[in-house]
Amino acid sequence: MKIPARNAVEENGDAITRRRVLAWFSGFGLFGSLIITALSNLIFIKPRATYGQPNRFSIGKPEDFPSGARVSLDTQRVCIVRDGDKLAAISTTCTHLGCIVSVSETGFACPCHGSRYDQDGNVTGGPAPRALPWYQVSLAPNGEIEVDKDNEIEAGSYLRV
Amino acid sequence: MSNQTAPSPWKSLVELPANVWHSIFRNPLPSSDLGRASTSFTNFFLHLHPVKVHRNSLKASYTLGLGLISFFLFFILVVTGVLLMFYYVPSTTQAYDRMLDLRGTVAFGIFLRNMHRWSAHGMVAIVFLHMCRVFLTGSYKPPREFNWVLGVLLLLVTLFMSFTGYLLPWDQLAFWAITVGTSIAGYAPVFGKQIKFILLGDSTVGQEALLRFYVLHVAVLPAILSLLAAIHFWRIRKDGGLSRPAEEDALPAEMAEVQIVQGPAVVMATSAAAVNAAKPVLQKRHYGIQGLVRGPFTKVGNVPDRSVSPGRIFLWRSL
Repeated sequence: MKIPARNAVEENGDAITRRRVLAWFSGFGLFGSLIITALSNLIFIKPRATYGQPNRFSIGKPEDFPSGARVSLDTQRVCIVRDGDKLAAISTTCTHLGCIVSVSETGFACPCHGSRYDQDGNVTGGPAPRALPWYQVSLAPNGEIEVDKDNEIEAGSYLRV
Repeated sequence: MSNQTAPSPWKSLVELPANVWHSIFRNPLPSSDLGRASTSFTNFFLHLHPVKVHRNSLKASYTLGLGLISFFLFFILVVTGVLLMFYYVPSTTQAYDRMLDLRGTVAFGIFLRNMHRWSAHGMVAIVFLHMCRVFLTGSYKPPREFNWVLGVLLLLVTLFMSFTGYLLPWDQLAFWAITVGTSIAGYAPVFGKQIKFILLGDSTVGQEALLRFYVLHVAVLPAILSLLAAIHFWRIRKDGGLSRPAEEDALPAEMAEVQIVQGPAVVMATSAAAVNAAKPVLQKRHYGIQGLVRGPFTKVGNVPDRSVSPGRIFLWRSL
């Protein structure tokens, strides 16, 4: 068997040889498929559907929350605040590292690293970097209150019920 | 027809145990250093360790055996982990009860779980101490700098194994530890929130997170760790064994004059080895025995060499 000389390309100078074109194509194919594999794995691992607690949920009729009530819903991780005819939903997920804050006399307190918030969710102590967000609350046609955790609203904006 | 007669069935039966025995133990026990070296050299499990090591490597205080202890702990973790997998279900409704059953109901369950738990804690501690030893003895320096990088990766994988395993009991401690841990990942710049979401598979710790952590813990990370550890061990050999002070490699004058007087020429597999053997033994001395056992014991280099570079015939180069 005659094995072609290794320096055939050099002998041809800079001419575009079949070998060089094929090498270029296979290199392109190899690295291209590597990049596509990496990207598609990244896309695959990010879920398109989640199966946990939905971000938009209803919490019952306004009558369930009498005036002055501060009801913490731990599964949904919101605190429903009712003051007269004003109603709001404040997040109970600590802005520090995600523990559930509990309702205290002065507002909210986190059991994990001691963050403190006032009644409106503003930080009054501890490592929390931000105030607790307020979520949009609306009345559904069936008369139930609906909380949308995808929509943060300005602190102090209430729903009139 | 022929002078050979078939052995009697009775004789075959009598010889059967010995035949089976000699099919497994095909060679007599080695009686010389050369024989012992060749045994190590031609056995898959024994060849992982060098036939000869440097004098310093034998001091127990030299490395404190921390690397091997890490490996043995990993071995214990694999064995006990596989056994625990027979009884564990990564489901939010079952995981905690299964863990309690492992502690109270399953035979040897509490023993296996505690072995897994304490070995895991131990592995993190020992890997850290191993890293300290390598740093303090300067063993990360060239030519071992690549193995240091592998070691850093192994430390990260070990920590991630520990982190993913922490969620699996699905108790309050596990739940909040992973809530806090993944929130810390969420503080990473630019991609923090996405990293947290990909880790948890959801916005909070739940079924998706438990399943993800389980798959990472029992399949993905052990595979990565095994691969890295294999390369890590291989690099130790290729970098010349355990590190030692440079002056340890400079041989005393009288030893430099020693020549190999044994080693009959027929043993030599290649002419290069024969030339090496004829020269005064210098730097290669620590591995000399391995050079001697090559020829008659392995097929490699003992068959007519008609090999060509695979690049010449199989790849696109030959087109």
